[in-house]
Amino acid sequence: MNAFANLPQFPWMSLLIMIPLCGALLCLLHGKRTNDCRGLALATALATFGVALYLFVCHGQGSERWLLYEDVNWIPAYGIRYVLAMDGIALLMVLLTAFMQISAVLLAWRVERHVGSFFALLLLLESGLMGIFLAYDLVLFYLFWEVALIPMFFLISVWGGEQRRRTALKFFLYTLIGSLCMLVAIIALYQINGAQTGAYTLVIGDLLKTQLTAAQEGWLFAGFLAAFVVKSPLVPFHTWLTDALTEAPAAGSLDLTGLLLKTGIYGLIRVAFPLFPNATADFLPILGILALVGLFHAAWSAYHQDDIKRLLAYSSISHLGLVLLGLAAWQLTAWEGSILLMVTHGITTGALFVLVALIRERTGTRSMQELGGLWGQAPCLSALFLLFSLASLGLPGLANFAGEILVLLGTFQEHPVWAVVALLGVVFAAAYMLRLVQGVIWGPAKAERTLPDLTMREWLMLLPMAILVVWLGLYPAPFLAPLHGAVATLLAGGLP
Amino acid sequence: MSLSDLLAMLPILILAFGATAILMAGAWYREPLPLLAGGIVTALLGALSAGLVTPPVPEIAGLFSAGGYARFYTILWSLLAAAGLMTGSRYIIEKRIGAGEYVSLVLYAAAGMALLSSATHLVGLFIALETFTLAFYILIASNRNCALAAEAGLKYLLLGAVATGFMAFGIALIYAASGSLVLPDAVMRLKAETGELQAWGLLGWGMILIAVGFKISLAPFHLWTPDVYQGAPAPVTGLLATGSKGAVVAALVGLLAMSGPVWNDLTDLVWLLAALTMLAGAFGALGQSNLKRLLAYSSVTHMGTLLVGVLCQTSEGFAATTFYVVVYVVTSLGAFAVIASLADGRGEPMTFDQWRGLGYRHPVRCGVLVLLLLSLAGLPATAGFMAKFAVFHAALQSGYIGLLMIGILASVISFAFYLRVTMLLFQPDEKASSWHQGSVFEHTVLAVCSSAVLVLGLFPGLLFGLIRQILP
Repeated sequence: MNAFANLPQFPWMSLLIMIPLCGALLCLLHGKRTNDCRGLALATALATFGVALYLFVCHGQGSERWLLYEDVNWIPAYGIRYVLAMDGIALLMVLLTAFMQISAVLLAWRVERHVGSFFALLLLLESGLMGIFLAYDLVLFYLFWEVALIPMFFLISVWGGEQRRRTALKFFLYTLIGSLCMLVAIIALYQINGAQTGAYTLVIGDLLKTQLTAAQEGWLFAGFLAAFVVKSPLVPFHTWLTDALTEAPAAGSLDLTGLLLKTGIYGLIRVAFPLFPNATADFLPILGILALVGLFHAAWSAYHQDDIKRLLAYSSISHLGLVLLGLAAWQLTAWEGSILLMVTHGITTGALFVLVALIRERTGTRSMQELGGLWGQAPCLSALFLLFSLASLGLPGLANFAGEILVLLGTFQEHPVWAVVALLGVVFAAAYMLRLVQGVIWGPAKAERTLPDLTMREWLMLLPMAILVVWLGLYPAPFLAPLHGAVATLLAGGLP
Repeated sequence: MSLSDLLAMLPILILAFGATAILMAGAWYREPLPLLAGGIVTALLGALSAGLVTPPVPEIAGLFSAGGYARFYTILWSLLAAAGLMTGSRYIIEKRIGAGEYVSLVLYAAAGMALLSSATHLVGLFIALETFTLAFYILIASNRNCALAAEAGLKYLLLGAVATGFMAFGIALIYAASGSLVLPDAVMRLKAETGELQAWGLLGWGMILIAVGFKISLAPFHLWTPDVYQGAPAPVTGLLATGSKGAVVAALVGLLAMSGPVWNDLTDLVWLLAALTMLAGAFGALGQSNLKRLLAYSSVTHMGTLLVGVLCQTSEGFAATTFYVVVYVVTSLGAFAVIASLADGRGEPMTFDQWRGLGYRHPVRCGVLVLLLLSLAGLPATAGFMAKFAVFHAALQSGYIGLLMIGILASVISFAFYLRVTMLLFQPDEKASSWHQGSVFEHTVLAVCSSAVLVLGLFPGLLFGLIRQILP
């Protein structure tokens, strides 16, 4: 009668990875029937979001170390296991991924060439991202890390802008060099641990107990850092990003800025920091200063852009500088703020990329010299543009503010100087965002155009984002609640 | 030679007698399809008998082993021969090449490769090596109307003869120094009291290493590879790139696994060869604008990586090398099979101009090609990644950090040129012309190769378990 007591729990997390993967395969198989593909992709994205939402509502408040944990023996010859684990941070990232993916699919609705392949790649990317956020075995993590790279490479190289091939190759090689360094570090750590314990394993939780000399720790940490810092991107390793964001097709830029960049920061939090606590302690001051440099450098560059997509790319780097600064402060409030800011930045900047794509579709240009006066021509679109721009510059009551204020408060307690300098950076953000708003929706119209306002599909894309932006600004508590325990254990340096 | 010896040799006998019978039949009966089918059935029978019949003796006539390792490779090379015949079917029919000769040569080559992988005697090693090399001299130049193929055949013949000379001389020196031709005795007796190799023995090993260098195209002995791969017809190139190299590596691994660490005096030299080979292959491939030449350089890089695994001289290293050989054979064969399946009256698509935008004309086969190229590059979730992971793991375990770094550098460069091809395939180009639709045989080979790449990438545990059992 107890036959059901030992049943493993339902593999919800595998489901999050498998649903998009199956959707991708189906899209490939039905590549000829364009409309079926669109519907299929949307259904897949919605189903994944449904699962993520269910997990958030029903499993989000657990007091266990892990909200969910799956463990299957995979390659016994090398002690490699299929381990998925979810804590509060992973849960938020998963939810963000599933949410943004719906917008990405809707945004890709208008893609004309090779529709099936486009959606298949988009869904494959989602599958890889889910894997990155959930994997708790280093080889599995590395696998998803690379799996997420390939679809983005094809999205840029086939559907990208003028410079697509050079950009795609640059994007791939930059990130690949980083991830191969990580691979070496993974194998080395695996062997050091195996030699000490006699049991070869790659599960992060078991590797935490490895005894490392200071030199070993430094080198291994550098290996992991190479992968994560390029992806984050920390200045001076950011040059691939502006090109990639500018050249990628709209849905690709949305995923790239909203989700893929977060994998680097997530890798730092989940893998690099806990595995090498001493090296991390030495590295934090450098990270803090580089983050501040990035914050200012990117804000300065953003101010001087004419292409609005490029401007947003730099603003992304600037925001992520603030996120990294919060991590460098190594303080509970700052970390919670950083993670919240990752989520809100994903939504606000993602929404802005969507709007830029819509403006480009309507006017055929992204240059501020040719835009202007959009308010008179498409008021609803312009209103949303204003809303997300204000959210992005950190207006109180809107999404980014909550994260930014937490980061600044937390940082101030540890490093008051950093916080004061960062505050100036936030003023910079106001400068370039207001210039963007001024250049695009206000001022005289540069050309006589009759622009259609938002369609039904575009409302569907943007309205949930707008609601979330306000909600996260006014009442972020439900999203902070699952973070608290997870962040506290990570900061204590121990097992999450 | 007793009955049990014959029984132990059954797979080789099936291959050799089947080949002879088909050669005879081909002299009177010119219809290609039945001969091809006969060849494929023979090869599969050879594989089946190697897998099912347990040999009653561990060694055949003191020349060849009949152990698990030997049988494993006998199965692999027999299956390779079957695949080679399947991809070559359209080529021999359309070019009107004598089916009897072609089929029997491929089977002889498979028998030679199987014998080489199981050699336990230096004479056996030499005979086996020459058996399949001779078959390849003819196969490469089998299309008599093609000047490039004739050039490739001649190049392979000349350099093969040089390599044979080195091999024979090396064997003679080792025999002179040790007084034995039996492996691994011959090698182990070379050691002086101090544990170092005697001077003559060292020279003999050096000669053999050069011969091996020519056969598996280690830098700086690799210069023939791109020319020969380009000139030879794709089905033959597929066999040449996989079997002829894999069998030599298998023999080397078998020999070293039996004889223990005899290479200690040669370590620096082999280190240098491996490093040079990985880099020469990777940089050589960067500048290519012809897919077959690119694959040739890619195979050079892979041989360098394999040598890293051999160099470790640990059971971990040998297991990794063996796994790598299997993965490389499957992947590389598949890539050449894609080229062969597209070939039509105009020849094979080779230059990048011909490949541009082909992904939209032939999506399935180009998709398979992309998968295989990514596996060659070592992308996770494909078999190539697990192979590289295993070799790098073994290298780090033996302390070859420098080689590992060079391997990583070569990997980065490899990704660059493989990705260039994949981008090329999916470049919008109105001028991309349609090529042949491919026969059922060819599609079968592609299906098997691509699914093997995925299965070995996701579930490599099965093969690793088997390899650990059979390593001598």
